[in-house]
Amino acid sequence: MRAIQMRKIKERVVFASSLCKEYQIGDLIIPALRDLNLEVVESEFVSIYGPSGAGKTTLLNLIGGLDQPTSGEIVVFGHDLSTYDEDFLATFRSAYVGFVFQSYNLVSTLTALENVAFPMELAGWSEDRVKIRSEKLLRLLGLFHRANHFPGQLSGGEQQRVAFARALANDPPLILIDEPTGNLDMETGLEIVSILEKLKAKGKTIIVATHDERIIGLGNRTLYLRDGRIVAADE
Amino acid sequence: MSEIAFPVKDLMRRKFQTGLTIVGLTICTAATVFLILFGENIGFEIALVTGGKLTTGFSNIFSLFVFMVSLLNILVGALVTSFLVYLSMSERVRDIGVMKATGCLANVAFGYFLTELFIIVFIGCVAGTIIGVLMHFACVNSLNAFGFSISQRPLNLWTVLLIFFIFVVASHILGTQPIIKAIRVKTAEALSPLYSFGITSGEPGKPASSKLSLSLKVAYRALTRRKSATRRAIICLAAVLTLTTVTIAGGIIASQTTQGYVERAVGRDIVIVGHPDLTRHYVNLLSQFFEAKDTEPINYLDQRYRIPESLVSELSNISGVLKADPRLVFEETVYEVQGVIIDPEEPDQYVLVGDHRFGEALVIGVQPEHVINEWLVFGRYLNETDVYSAVIGDSLAFEMFADPEKQAVRVFEKKFEIVGVCLDPLNNGNVAYVPLNALSTLVNGQPNCNFLFLKIDPFRRLQVLAEIEKQVSEMVLEPVELNEVLGKHMDFLGYVWSFVMFLPLFSLVTAAFCLLSYMMLSITGQQREFGIMRALGAKPKVILKIVFTEALIITLISGAIGVFVGLFFTFVFLIPEPIISHLTLVSVAGWLLLALSFLCLSSLYPAMKVVKKSIAGVLSQP
Repeated sequence: MRAIQMRKIKERVVFASSLCKEYQIGDLIIPALRDLNLEVVESEFVSIYGPSGAGKTTLLNLIGGLDQPTSGEIVVFGHDLSTYDEDFLATFRSAYVGFVFQSYNLVSTLTALENVAFPMELAGWSEDRVKIRSEKLLRLLGLFHRANHFPGQLSGGEQQRVAFARALANDPPLILIDEPTGNLDMETGLEIVSILEKLKAKGKTIIVATHDERIIGLGNRTLYLRDGRIVAADE
Repeated sequence: MSEIAFPVKDLMRRKFQTGLTIVGLTICTAATVFLILFGENIGFEIALVTGGKLTTGFSNIFSLFVFMVSLLNILVGALVTSFLVYLSMSERVRDIGVMKATGCLANVAFGYFLTELFIIVFIGCVAGTIIGVLMHFACVNSLNAFGFSISQRPLNLWTVLLIFFIFVVASHILGTQPIIKAIRVKTAEALSPLYSFGITSGEPGKPASSKLSLSLKVAYRALTRRKSATRRAIICLAAVLTLTTVTIAGGIIASQTTQGYVERAVGRDIVIVGHPDLTRHYVNLLSQFFEAKDTEPINYLDQRYRIPESLVSELSNISGVLKADPRLVFEETVYEVQGVIIDPEEPDQYVLVGDHRFGEALVIGVQPEHVINEWLVFGRYLNETDVYSAVIGDSLAFEMFADPEKQAVRVFEKKFEIVGVCLDPLNNGNVAYVPLNALSTLVNGQPNCNFLFLKIDPFRRLQVLAEIEKQVSEMVLEPVELNEVLGKHMDFLGYVWSFVMFLPLFSLVTAAFCLLSYMMLSITGQQREFGIMRALGAKPKVILKIVFTEALIITLISGAIGVFVGLFFTFVFLIPEPIISHLTLVSVAGWLLLALSFLCLSSLYPAMKVVKKSIAGVLSQP
């Protein structure tokens, strides 16, 4: 009874209802998500898995406001993302969401330190605060000695860790992670799993698309996505 | 796949990049074809309009201007093509890596991309040549419809073919370099998601100054990391801006300088006093610069045309007459006298310079200390101690002398050493100024004059003119103001420059299109990075600021180089002795600033297109 009460007072972070997303390539319309319903609450760790093309990345993009649904509703932290303009969505992402992309997506012309500092500078943090936090995050992830290296000078695992540091820069309440170990070897993959465990322990809301069973095992909830639909959910 | 099928399909699949490269090349070729055909037509028209009128020195300025602009345009065209190919190849390195990884030999891959280059260059050059020719005909017809009279000359097919050939060859030579460079990238590097063509990978980055604003920091990093692309962009734009500077600054300065030369040569607020027959004749000779008229021969040395010294003295003393310049003017055959100089190859020997040519010229005896004109003189002007020295007009110097300042001119069997050459519209530059005393002695042994030039106070013009008329009323003499003639000179030069100034207009449009093409390809190359920044919370205006800052930095650096080189070309080759007022400087600076701002702002268009794209769409691209 006590546990149920605790869960009830947790804020609803993501709410998706009848969510559809279609892509048009020439005359061909490809459905990526079909009538998807989803609810994620504060501090939850949700793992999404499924075959390639199931719609995992599309779902993360819609939750993060990177894309607009074709139909349906997507509400994140109380904001119906389909109703806002690009400026608001940019502010929303800056304040609420941290992204870790599958292919790291670091800005190749900025150093590791500058990549981490970038979201904070966008948010208008003071110079000193940006410097202190960027260095702290790189130290935390064991990359301070690589602070002035450019992405092209870092290994895949190091780039992924910089991407995590960047996602945590603004201390966002929601972290979206797409295939974090997809391009990494076993050992580096373990480092990433360890980072995710720490984030979970900190109480961050995490939604991660993955095929990695070590990460799936970390989740409070696991969703199996196929052909744009949630076909199974385990708690 | 066949060696033709792959490149054709590949180009068709990449419509945007292919289209931009072709459009860029088309514009450059079209602009060059147009400039040269139109310039040739204008040059011909200038010759028609000014034939036998404009002095040789002035004609040289116009033709040099058209020549320099055309030459620069060819250079710009080749550089722009090379740069566009470089940018498109930077996006193909991964594809080349994939081809090589799947067993395609490097030389086969090179063959594919060389074929692509050939297709692009051929289409661009053919389209550009056709459009350039059509633009030329359309422009000539439009100008004629607006009241100009430009004769439509038959198309010079050889010129057109030559330009086409130059562009095809130059584009291939410069366009092959980035292909070779891209083919040489190691397969493993090319396939690595970490590798970016043109991005330096050696040293870790020095921390960018934290004092810089975010957009400046990101723009600075993007430019310094893409050293190769930035360097090429700066070279390309510097060439474009050199062309723009030569056309804008050179055009304005040349226009104002030629007008300044004329104003100094004719003089402002000048009244000539002489017999009506003589003043009419003199004004006709002065007007030959803008309207050719046959003048009846006249005996200048007739005694009735002489002005008594007492009258010269009285007119000089009128209040409001600032300076009086008595002259003895007559038409006479003058002869080239060979000069003797030390042989440059064998210093102990002498060689003769020149020939024994002769021609009709206006010989003018002046008192050097009283001369009111301020001609542009190469060499020096006469001074009080000169006895048998002469300054000759530019046409006489160019047409009758090999090395004027080493030679002499013979008048009445007397040799006058040439000390300088002046730009003078009088009698189309066929003039010789010699000391009055020496000339009078040769003519009749007495110092005498048949013209009196008076510089008057413009604020007391009417009063002074009335006083002059009063003084000369008892004699058969009349005062004639030269301001009206000077005004006609200015109008004529303005008319000629109105033709020539079409060239800067078109070169500026070319420059803008080139920059726009560069920015479009450059921003397309960076759109993934902009997508990442947007995903991290960067608003569209932040991206626009970054792009604008990048464009501003590139424009300022290339602008500084381009403006400097352009002004160097202008002042060293085009107008060695410019006449520049504060207004000219302000006007040149204003136009250049406008051109640079226009170029900078044009970069925002492709950036605005990029920020409108879906972030997810941009990030999903490989």
